[in-house]
Amino acid sequence: MSTLLRVDRLWLRENQLFLALTIVIGVLAGLAAVLFTVAIEQTSHRLFGLAPSALRLFAIPPLMSLVTGVLLVKFFPDVRGSGVPQTEAAYHLSGGVIPARVPFGKFLTGVLCIGSGHSMGREGPSVQIGAGLASVIGRWLRLSPANVRDLVPVGAAAALSAAFNTPVAAVLFALEEIIGDMNATLLGSTVVASVVAVIVERSILGNEPLFHVPAYQLVHPAELGAYAALGIIGGILSLLFSRALLGLRGLFLRLPQGSKIFQPAMGGLVIGAIIVFCPAVMGVGYDYVDQALNGGLLLKTLAILCVVKMAATVVSYASGNAGGIFAPSLYVGAMAGGAVGMVVHRFAPFPTAEPGAYALVGMGTLFAGIIRAPMTSVFMIFEITQDYQILVPLMVANMLSFAISKRYQRLPVYHALLEQDDVHLPSPAIEARATARTARHVMRTAVPFVPADTSVEAAYLSLLEQDAPAQLVGTRDHLLGWVTRQQLEQWRSAGRSADPLASMLDGEYVHVHPDHPIDVVLDRFAQTGGVLPVVSRTAARRVEGIVTLDSILKVVDRRARGRDPAPAGASGAESDPPATRPNRGPTAD
Amino acid sequence: MTSATNLPAADPSGRIHREIIQLAVLIAIAGAAFVLTRAVARANQRAGLREAAEWYERGQQRLAAGEVGDAIGAFRRAAARNRADRRYGLALARALATSGQEPSAQRVLLSLREAAPDDPEISVELARLAAGLQDVPGALRYYHAAVYSPWIGWPDRRELRLELIRLLLAQKQAGRALPELLAVSMDLPDQAGPHVEVGELFSAAGDVRQALAQFQRALQLAPRDGQALVGAGLAAFELGEYARARKYLDSAPASVDAVRSTRELVELVLTRDPLASRIRSAERQRRLRANMSYAQERLAACSPPPESSLEDQDLELRKALESFQARLRTPAIREQDTIESGVELTFQIATRLLQTCPSPEPLDRALIVIGRQHGAAEQ
Repeated sequence: MSTLLRVDRLWLRENQLFLALTIVIGVLAGLAAVLFTVAIEQTSHRLFGLAPSALRLFAIPPLMSLVTGVLLVKFFPDVRGSGVPQTEAAYHLSGGVIPARVPFGKFLTGVLCIGSGHSMGREGPSVQIGAGLASVIGRWLRLSPANVRDLVPVGAAAALSAAFNTPVAAVLFALEEIIGDMNATLLGSTVVASVVAVIVERSILGNEPLFHVPAYQLVHPAELGAYAALGIIGGILSLLFSRALLGLRGLFLRLPQGSKIFQPAMGGLVIGAIIVFCPAVMGVGYDYVDQALNGGLLLKTLAILCVVKMAATVVSYASGNAGGIFAPSLYVGAMAGGAVGMVVHRFAPFPTAEPGAYALVGMGTLFAGIIRAPMTSVFMIFEITQDYQILVPLMVANMLSFAISKRYQRLPVYHALLEQDDVHLPSPAIEARATARTARHVMRTAVPFVPADTSVEAAYLSLLEQDAPAQLVGTRDHLLGWVTRQQLEQWRSAGRSADPLASMLDGEYVHVHPDHPIDVVLDRFAQTGGVLPVVSRTAARRVEGIVTLDSILKVVDRRARGRDPAPAGASGAESDPPATRPNRGPTAD
Repeated sequence: MTSATNLPAADPSGRIHREIIQLAVLIAIAGAAFVLTRAVARANQRAGLREAAEWYERGQQRLAAGEVGDAIGAFRRAAARNRADRRYGLALARALATSGQEPSAQRVLLSLREAAPDDPEISVELARLAAGLQDVPGALRYYHAAVYSPWIGWPDRRELRLELIRLLLAQKQAGRALPELLAVSMDLPDQAGPHVEVGELFSAAGDVRQALAQFQRALQLAPRDGQALVGAGLAAFELGEYARARKYLDSAPASVDAVRSTRELVELVLTRDPLASRIRSAERQRRLRANMSYAQERLAACSPPPESSLEDQDLELRKALESFQARLRTPAIREQDTIESGVELTFQIATRLLQTCPSPEPLDRALIVIGRQHGAAEQ
């Protein structure tokens, strides 16, 4: 009895400890974000000075990127890019475990990359730094895995709140983007941490808002049409940006592995060339966003900066530098919105707001289209302006941009970036059903493989020998696909008996993940030749098990006898009859 | 022999103790990190202020060299790095206004005003900008904001008011200028100059009586002030106080054209007015006859073109003149009505002469002034 009471007290104490940690993490993440911002400014000032020469503008980015390339490849491989997708992956797939080197490495490489002129944002890295600190602290205090995991969005929200000075938007971002669900349990903690962080930030940096924006409003109802047009343009630009980013990044990923250390510098060379002619796109660029929001830029300048910033950000990010796309999306949105506003203001037959109002809405529109966090976008703009009046046009434009982006880009950019790294995040629907029976319960872990260099003939004979309907090709850590008996017969008939299996497969195949519910497993199993691979979410070519007809039947049998099957499947190597569907690609849910 | 019951139970108090220590360590780290971050942030802020000052200097140099575009860029950077120092924002606004970007300048100033609504300097810049854009109500609003600002000293308040008054007069809004003039006249220092300045503005606004009062006050403080004498003389003349006008104009510098012409006019008015007070009857009659004679000569000398619309009028005037001159030879000349009629007639003739004579004589104008002074009106 006394032990039970002590366990209860311990449990309560962990919850109380969690609350106390929320506050401490709010302070530490807030301080980290402030220090990050200050360090970037100082680095930029020291590297470029007051009025840098063309040579300095050109040389600094690639030279610094050589240094960061070494750091990113040799010491901190987890800190390339934004940090938001990595934080999401850590939360959903790694139980919130973020190694201690990650926040430190992100801080260092982020300062060097952004401070040396790369066109990237500081908010994404701040999120990863804050989340990393929270994870490290949670594990140091030996909290339960669930609490360690829950600290990740808390740290992320705190850091973003301090980095962007928008506590409400930061909370929403953590819930909408990191967690992917408005989780009431974590709402309180993220709010507390966010508020603490912004208090810390304002006590150090003052109450000066990030942007000084006049009070804009909807001047005439017909303007809603203009804002709708901005929403459509924003959606198209979002698509262009995302596709360009993913396309160029895919290109860099396909370069030889040995070039990885030099890829940031390759991007740095291009950035150096760009900023010689257009230094306005260096770094974060909030000064120019402020000018656009106040109508201080000409139409030509707005259009040029919109295009050049997009290009520069794509190059910086795709080449593997450490930095985010949060701020660049706001920048591009402000320029695009300002340009639309200029045109509308000049030619519209009805009274219109100043172009700065359109720049403000444009910021939110691009953010909603690229990041796909519409709630965060609306509240972020509201916190920047402290004014309700612009919310209606903002929501109209956001909705259109979001719809267009979702229609033509299946995954949000952060998820698409993860998928490029063979990391598949579960959808909220899948996570919600995680406690139900899943692929883990029906798979078996003993998996035979046929090597990729095996000839078609040898594979066929092996299948006949084992009397199996299909076989996996590759290794446990790198699956190429699977082959059925019928496929092998067809290839033999076509005179390709001597060809290796690797040359016959396109690398795409139907698969499931361990947390996929049974109905998904059954649905996909029907598309296979009798062998459905179960692959890891964190490495989509690593096999964790296979589902066969036999393993499914065993589960059904156990249920019928009143015994639930254990997860991770039973052992054994029973074969199943083949099916005839061709392979499909390893794609996310 | 050992059994599970003999194994020592896990002591949770050790775990609690550890967590408290860890939490304390974290709080200490947070405290130290706060101090460090604040120090770094302050150093960065100081660097930012230095950078802002450098950009401001650059901007001033560019502006002095006539490179307004570069100056705007430099001021913008200075203002971005140090928003608290309104000098940078003001410099930016002025540079923008100089380069013709008034709407941008206005936005900058309005943004500065949001942070410091009582700052008179910002209000003045906005007022001047509005004046440049012909927005008189806007200029009025901002000038008042500057004038009534709690942070402005009296001399500056007066100067601002005068600037506003000049603007209103330039925009032909004398009605709005007069209350301002009355307000500014309440707190003028005891020096002739300000009173003369205000007197001139009153004259421009059409309140000659107040103008005269100001000039007279100036003369009390500096009896030999030339501008005050001129102003007072002209004001007295406008008010019909010719004797006083002559007194001032006689002492005023003769180099001023207006003084010369007005002095001559005043002299003629004073010496040819048949209805002047405190002159003998004989003098009245002499003046009247002299005016009639002059009018007759002038009518003969300045005939209107044949078949013009003025020919009939001229004929009527001649007949009236002849008829009146006949009356002058009778005892009726001594009657007040006769003299008044004579003044009226000479006024009509002199008015007609201004229309037809190529170069009007000073006496023509004097006869008109005399006529107006005694209630004559143009037909």
